[in-house]
Amino acid sequence: MKVVCTLRVNGEPHEIAIPPHWTLLEALRYELGLTGSKQGCDKGDCGACTVIVDGRPELSCLTLALGAEGRDVRTVEGLATPQGLHPLQDCFDLNGAAQCGFCTPGILMSAAALLEHNPSPTREEIKQALAGNLCRCTGYTKILDAVEQAAARLREARP
Amino acid sequence: MLRLPRFQYHAPRSLTGALELASRHANEFMYIAGGTDLLPNMKHLLFEPPHLISLRGLRELDFIEVQGGGGIRIGALTTLTRIAESDLARRELPSLAQAAGLVAGPQIRNMGTLGGNVCLDTRCVYYNQTLFWRKALGYCLKKDGSQCHVVQSGKRCVAAHSADTVPALITLGAAVELQSPRGAREIRLEDFFSGDGVKNTVREADEIITAVRIPPQPRGRRANYTKVRIRNSIDFPILSIALAVDFREDGRTCDNVELVMTALGSKPRRIGNLHGVVEGRALTAEVIQAVAHQAHRQAHPLTNINVDPEWRREVAPVYVRRALERAVRAG
Amino acid sequence: MSKKLNEMPVSNPNKGRTFKVVGRQPRKPEGLKKVSGEALYTDDIVLPRMLHAKILRSIHAHARIRKIDASKALALPGVHAVVTGNDMPIAYGIIPWTQDEYPLCTDKTRFVGDGVAAVAAVDEDTANRALELIEVEYEVLPAVLSPEQAREHPEIKVNEKAKDGNLSKHVFLEFGDMEGGFARADVVDEDHFYFENTTHAPIEPHCAIGQYDRNGVLTVWSSTQVPHYLHRELARVLNLPQNRVRVIQPLVGGAFGGKSEPFDLEFCVAKLAMITGRPVKILYTREEVFYSHRGRHPMEMTYRTGATKDGKLTAIDAKITFDGGAYSSFGLVTAYYSGQLLTAPYQMPAYRFDSSRWFTNKPACGPKRGHGSVQPRFAFEVQLDKIAHRLNLDPIELRRRNFIGEYTETINGLRITSNGFLECLDAVEKASGWKERRGKLPFGKGLGVAGSMYISGTNYPIYPNEMPQSAVLVRLDRSGRAVIFCGASEIGQGVNAMLANILCEELGTALADVQVVSSDTDLTPIDLGAYSSRVTFMCGNACIDAARKLRKQILEACAEKLQTSPEDLDILPGEVVCLKDTAKRLSTPEAFQLAEAKSGSLAATGSFKTNPLGGDYRGGTIGASPAYSFTAHVAEVTVDPGAGFVTVDRIWIAHDCGKAINPILVEGQMEGSAYMGCAEAIMEAQTYNSKGMHIGPSLLDYRIPTSLDTPEMQSLIIESIDPEGPYGAKEAGEGPLHPSIPAVANAIFDAVGVRLTRLPFTPAVVLKALREKEERERRAAPAAAGGQ
Ligand SMILES: Cc1cc2nc3c(=O)[nH]c(=O)nc-3n(C[C@H](O)[C@H](O)[C@H](O)COP(=O)(O)OP(=O)(O)OC[C@H]3O[C@@H](n4cnc5c(N)ncnc54)[C@H](O)[C@@H]3O)c2cc1C
Ligand code: SF4
Ligand code: FES
Ligand code: FES
Repeated sequence: MKVVCTLRVNGEPHEIAIPPHWTLLEALRYELGLTGSKQGCDKGDCGACTVIVDGRPELSCLTLALGAEGRDVRTVEGLATPQGLHPLQDCFDLNGAAQCGFCTPGILMSAAALLEHNPSPTREEIKQALAGNLCRCTGYTKILDAVEQAAARLREARP
Repeated sequence: MLRLPRFQYHAPRSLTGALELASRHANEFMYIAGGTDLLPNMKHLLFEPPHLISLRGLRELDFIEVQGGGGIRIGALTTLTRIAESDLARRELPSLAQAAGLVAGPQIRNMGTLGGNVCLDTRCVYYNQTLFWRKALGYCLKKDGSQCHVVQSGKRCVAAHSADTVPALITLGAAVELQSPRGAREIRLEDFFSGDGVKNTVREADEIITAVRIPPQPRGRRANYTKVRIRNSIDFPILSIALAVDFREDGRTCDNVELVMTALGSKPRRIGNLHGVVEGRALTAEVIQAVAHQAHRQAHPLTNINVDPEWRREVAPVYVRRALERAVRAG
Repeated sequence: MSKKLNEMPVSNPNKGRTFKVVGRQPRKPEGLKKVSGEALYTDDIVLPRMLHAKILRSIHAHARIRKIDASKALALPGVHAVVTGNDMPIAYGIIPWTQDEYPLCTDKTRFVGDGVAAVAAVDEDTANRALELIEVEYEVLPAVLSPEQAREHPEIKVNEKAKDGNLSKHVFLEFGDMEGGFARADVVDEDHFYFENTTHAPIEPHCAIGQYDRNGVLTVWSSTQVPHYLHRELARVLNLPQNRVRVIQPLVGGAFGGKSEPFDLEFCVAKLAMITGRPVKILYTREEVFYSHRGRHPMEMTYRTGATKDGKLTAIDAKITFDGGAYSSFGLVTAYYSGQLLTAPYQMPAYRFDSSRWFTNKPACGPKRGHGSVQPRFAFEVQLDKIAHRLNLDPIELRRRNFIGEYTETINGLRITSNGFLECLDAVEKASGWKERRGKLPFGKGLGVAGSMYISGTNYPIYPNEMPQSAVLVRLDRSGRAVIFCGASEIGQGVNAMLANILCEELGTALADVQVVSSDTDLTPIDLGAYSSRVTFMCGNACIDAARKLRKQILEACAEKLQTSPEDLDILPGEVVCLKDTAKRLSTPEAFQLAEAKSGSLAATGSFKTNPLGGDYRGGTIGASPAYSFTAHVAEVTVDPGAGFVTVDRIWIAHDCGKAINPILVEGQMEGSAYMGCAEAIMEAQTYNSKGMHIGPSLLDYRIPTSLDTPEMQSLIIESIDPEGPYGAKEAGEGPLHPSIPAVANAIFDAVGVRLTRLPFTPAVVLKALREKEERERRAAPAAAGGQ
């Protein structure tokens, strides 16, 4: 039996009808058409489904869609503004930090939340912040480079 | 994609609301907090409750506060991240803050709660698997079967207690506060675990953990937490060691050592017979060795975790020694 | 050696070239889509009226299927169709000579997880419920779970395709004078090694969608890395003409060899779509990804190597036994690669290998990054280190002394062209501070080196044919936009960027003006697939071929307009310039328009086909490649002697990729490779219990490294400029994995003095070795006072 679920995603309110056992990831991908968030492991082991909920990165595959009601959900689709890409996105592209790109949306969300809380993270702090996101392609080096570069750009932009 | 089984979802806004729902759906529901333990288990069809009662809306249970007598109370809905990052916890309860900060990975710590961690279901390589997998195995005692694959002739499930915060909390003398439609009670955390892997706590199905209370800590106490794991993130402990050492005024002479280890059997293990070894002594190499020796004697890792139990047993004293040395250095 | 084979290139047209775009453009055409979440992978595609299907899998490692009753499942509301093995009774397999798999098991199941039936329903929940309702009657058969059991129990036949008991493939090849080689050796080392089973674990689980339209055309979208072979196999197995099948490969979220052959889900969605007339999707669970496997073969290896006092190799004798799992997969090739690809970068005067692949009741092993050669390379490079130690030679020096050279032939008849291995050794030696630091670090810290070579594509297609292995179509619009159509699979390795860079270089277009349309068997010309590191070499050359045809047309048209000769013109980014009079310029769109006016609509195809190469003996063409890449690594490790944990702190990776068309992407391949090898060295293991069940088919239990487990890596690109590669390029995607494992092993020896020969180097293994060493030393202490 479907129930009505009210979600706020990337600043926009949505009202959808879903079965209660749907996860937030399923609601985003298959109901709202926000396929940027990926599913890699089914159950909390990989981080591909990471979205920002109330300012913190969380796993949408372990969040019930109904459990996200009343909370502020941000996905990779909300990272760019009409003015342009988030510096993280541009730096990921420039540094080859997205190879297959499948882990990328989740990693971007973890990184974005990090930079919101800590504008000048050390490399070690970046590693810690991304330690819940598996990437199988890059060996992480280019991802760390990209986050460092984006942090520097953000700091320059708002001193 | 692995699917969740069907259920009805309830999101009460208050403790009373939650308890009312619990009465209404007695025996047909489970509580869900962060969901980071329950939902994977439900996806594995280990639990199929017709109703889920979410505790997320109980904002009154999200707090870290200092109590009158100097003790600290932490609400059950407080996230692990909040505990790990709390200045108060890091200062006053460093081993707990360390343990909370070592759970899983960052996202799960943002979601997972202290109450959920205390109630974490026991884990086993033969249990935390899909229905398909367990069917191919022929199931086990803990769920749908009659045989234990860890202790072949065993009558009791010995799935591993694996919660990181618990050993730290036990060394600190913590107690859990519980509330049910029948009233409130408080249990020392050490007594909260039954040792039966199938249902390893004494919590009644409708009891909500509201808070964990940590009594004022002795002056001169130094506590730390060691988590051994193969991977540095997204990994449950394969051995964990919580330590609290009480030093006298001189900062050298030891009064007492509290040592609790987990990721062994179904309940955390307090390493006993330490008092006589340490009381009134400085933690010299020999004394440290004697404590480590006790840990080696008393800790018995099992094949419930898929990392060589003999090696885990062999390194247990190594990590205990290092933890004690850290405590000495912290002076 | 027959005359026709292995002709050396006479000149190197790529030497000394300068570039405007190649080597300088870091971005890729689909890059911004990937960072914005717009990139579409197979599971992101939702078609109207789409059904969802699930596959029922065997709970037995080995069983005969007596009966399947799906009537209850079919009766469940929401269920649209059920298929079983009998609906698709034609065997398939990536290698035409060893086709031994069925989309769903017809008579027997051969491992826990083998597919038995598939259900299409309105949603996944309904399909799952229907699976529970299918009744399968099994006759459980005894299972064979190791190569030893496979050998000892020929009467338990795992795979009926095997001619001899459970032997999947045996290769024995001998080159040079083995006896003489060992006779003149001053030292001979014999060691036993074991390489554990590991898997690819791409983050995207396999997914496929099938659709069958009113014209009788079957379209399958799949996260495959071999759309062309999938196209052929779908047609064959489903009894459709090839011209009624279309395969589309959306972006793929990682593959590493794990998606390089057809799988059950692709046939099932196709068949179910044909039956129901509606689109059908299957998305594997992570558990199913582990069952589909095709990962690294576990290998037991014995190596006997002789060398002279000054460290020159005299003879190498290898015996390798490997566990193939239940099906052939690429096993025939693996068996050859396990021996054929060891013969460079070192000169081998005599070499013999004896490789046997056995069938067992486990998920099939296949090609994982560095197919077949990563395991032998681990063994051999550790043995080289041992020999260097015995002879008191610097391990880098020992490797230099045995260097095979460039423009030469290996003992087994592989033609080597460009070879930058010495430069690789120099680079890692310098960057790591090898000379100053090796052997001088405190106990517990160490440095280790290893080298390797790998193919840039297999010289021959998987099924023999005379057509191109790769082709590209470029279409230019009068607006200045360009579209590259190419069958090559973008799986994250950067083929789209490689093609676009070539086009930008040749025609002056901007990256943003290039679209790459890839891997759609209707729209794009052939490419055989993303395997064997063949794409840069083959598609790159095809793309240059196409671009140069257009370049000629453009320059001729511009020369006419500017009243000069085409030789005096050059194409720069955004414009065509007269070199003699730089005031004479035309913008790229103007140039395209002039060319279109002169020669009609602008489009050109290019293609690539290899010349015959390889050894003139049975199997001599397997391992033949138009070019070989070379790599050297130095790893730095810290070993915790109390608990046994190995931390890989740093890896210096020097790789001869010929020419880096996009250096950022080349570095990415080098780092990703080193990471993956390092993971196999210290933590990854796919193991099975006594029932043949995978012990932990999840990304929690099959641990792959997180950001906190991965070493810092430094990439050092070496460009040897290959005469035949596109602008001199060779491969970078697989070669750089090989040395990371032996380099870590050798660094552990430098750190704590123990030789580890069995992977992975878990703390338990390391600690045990340390304890054994202490014990040995204790026993030897009185005798060897003052010794090492
Ligand atoms: C990939 C992965 C890795 C993990 N690694 C670790 C690890 O390293 N260490 C570790 O300790 N844990 C780990 N966990 C488990 C889990 O994330 C944590 O234990 C977390 O603290 C659980 O809290 P939760 O709020 O999410 O619990 P939930 O999943 O919401 O609940 C867990 C159980 O507790 C009950 N419950 C929850 N709150 C209450 C309450 N207040 N009163 C009564 N009952 C309650 C629920 O009914 C349920 O049975 C991991 C999980 C995943 C998915
Ligand atoms: S310990 Fe035994 S009974 Fe308990 S979960 Fe493991 S196998 Fe089952
Ligand atoms: S999909 Fe892997 S953590 Fe959510
Ligand atoms: S880029 Fe492929 S998984 Fe990270």
